[in-house]
Amino acid sequence: MSFLEGFRFRGSDSLMHRLDPRVKFVYVCVIFLIAVMYTDFLVQVLLFILQFPAVYLGRVYRQWMKSMRGAVFLAVFILVSILLSQYFYYGYNLLLSDFEYALAMSMRFIVLVASFSIFFLTTSPDYLGLALEQSGVPYQFCFAFVTAVRFVPVLAEEAQRIIDAQRSRGMELEKGSFLKRVRNYIPILIPLIVNAVKRSLELAESMESRAWGSSKKRSSYYTLKLRRGDYALAAISIAALSISLYVKYLVMQGLIRIPMVLPLILRT
Amino acid sequence: MPIIEARNLTYTYPGSSSPSLRDVSFKVERGEFVLLTGPSGCGKTTLCRCLNGLIPHFYGGTLSGELVVSGLKITEHPIHELALHVGLVFQNPENQIFALSVEKDVAFGLENIGMDREEMRRRVEWALEVTGIKDLRDRAPHELSGGQQQRVAIAGVLAMRPEILVLDEPTSFLDPLGAVRILEMIKKLNEEGLTIILIEHRLDLVSRYVDHVMIMNEGSIVLDGRPRELFQSSYPELLGVGLPKVTKLFNMLRNDGLNFKDVPLTPEEASRLVEEALHDRGR
Ligand SMILES: Nc1ncnc2c1ncn2[C@@H]1O[C@H](COP(=O)(O)OP(=O)(O)OP(=O)(O)O)[C@@H](O)[C@H]1O
Ligand SMILES: [Mg+2]
Repeated sequence: MSFLEGFRFRGSDSLMHRLDPRVKFVYVCVIFLIAVMYTDFLVQVLLFILQFPAVYLGRVYRQWMKSMRGAVFLAVFILVSILLSQYFYYGYNLLLSDFEYALAMSMRFIVLVASFSIFFLTTSPDYLGLALEQSGVPYQFCFAFVTAVRFVPVLAEEAQRIIDAQRSRGMELEKGSFLKRVRNYIPILIPLIVNAVKRSLELAESMESRAWGSSKKRSSYYTLKLRRGDYALAAISIAALSISLYVKYLVMQGLIRIPMVLPLILRT
Repeated sequence: MPIIEARNLTYTYPGSSSPSLRDVSFKVERGEFVLLTGPSGCGKTTLCRCLNGLIPHFYGGTLSGELVVSGLKITEHPIHELALHVGLVFQNPENQIFALSVEKDVAFGLENIGMDREEMRRRVEWALEVTGIKDLRDRAPHELSGGQQQRVAIAGVLAMRPEILVLDEPTSFLDPLGAVRILEMIKKLNEEGLTIILIEHRLDLVSRYVDHVMIMNEGSIVLDGRPRELFQSSYPELLGVGLPKVTKLFNMLRNDGLNFKDVPLTPEEASRLVEEALHDRGR
């Protein structure tokens, strides 16, 4: 569960927190695009290094490390499975370039997790909902999104309570075969679902009591305003995307080559 | 003109075979602090749901009789219109908070009615101030204690500036001290002119604040009047409504032939009455 902690917003204040979620999202998307565009280990490493300033400025190092630890674990898995498949596919033979490629793919995964983790750690779901709203997503969906995020910790706590209650009546979760263990979770799921339905009715009642749906045009307590930092980040994102598109073009024309990292390391 | 007037209100939930409200008639005057109590399942929550039109607009079912709140017939006005006059606070604060920060949640109702931002800010500030949660404005709901959450829920309703505040067992999830603090806050709002309808089982806790008591049983209002008058009868006890302990004690003393000028609702009043009685006897 601590992996997910690396994606949960922490109410605090920093340069990263104050950035407009829309711009931040554009930035994350640019990182995503570049990461997908290149299959070079060097580029992925550079992208990863690019995340450090954001983590530092957002002061979310501890939480970010949690998602990173999970990501590295999965990345090792990716690395091994790519190497194995290459090994069998190319006739029981692995070249240095295969290693480089596998490393790049694992690193790409880490980069994606890293950037999305920073985004979610530093963006309040309230503002995220607002950003969705102002991007033309119907309010009902934005509201559903924010409410879903809002109730994650509540439901998690409730699940734990139910588990404890069922345990204290002698239920054993970790006993038996795989199928049996899956079945063990039914006495937890049913009360959880029933409670969630009840809860949603109470929520609806409370929403109605607070004039939900009274006017076509809702107003908003928070506002999104682009500030200097946002323009700076937008400029950085656009520049990064342009440069990487240009370099990619040059590479495809055969005018330049992105050096491999492993041979450099091995030579020294 | 009373601010709430019910005439022969009878209501049956959809799919239910017997009515949950039977021929309910009562009046509440502007500025009153009303206590609504009665055994579990007697229809208190159901009655509250009528006050802002959740019944019949949200719940459906069959409603007969008439209920006028702030001059509006509930059957003729939608919930969101009634919500501007009647604020409803429910038992579980957790399920009344929608946003991820306190101030954003307090603003929820105002956003819904499309209020402009200037006025909205003023209202939110005011609501945070009167409920005493100014320091919590940026907190997320799951970081708050039950009492704090209930304050947020009350602030969210108050921000709409209703004339009537209806609270359905607002303190049942709180410790006694937290409960008293919330009740003191509600009393203060009442003194500033807000009409309060409070559902509560623990009469010991709330009797001191109220000036109008309605006791329900099996869907009907069986007792309606001033607390001191009602609490002298033994009928509430028979219904399972726990009278304040001092009131009960004085009722017992009276049955034994000891008479005091009045029945007390709080220990402080009781001690005063005893002192006066001793003083009179000394003379
Ligand atoms: N949503 C519903 N659908 C059908 N019947 C309901 C519904 N809510 C309540 N009832 C029934 O209406 C009656 C009155 O319930 P209500 O919740 O109003 O009682 P209450 O006085 O608030 O009780 P408590 O003190 O336990 O909160 C009960 O018999 C209950 O079973
Ligand atoms: Mg109830």
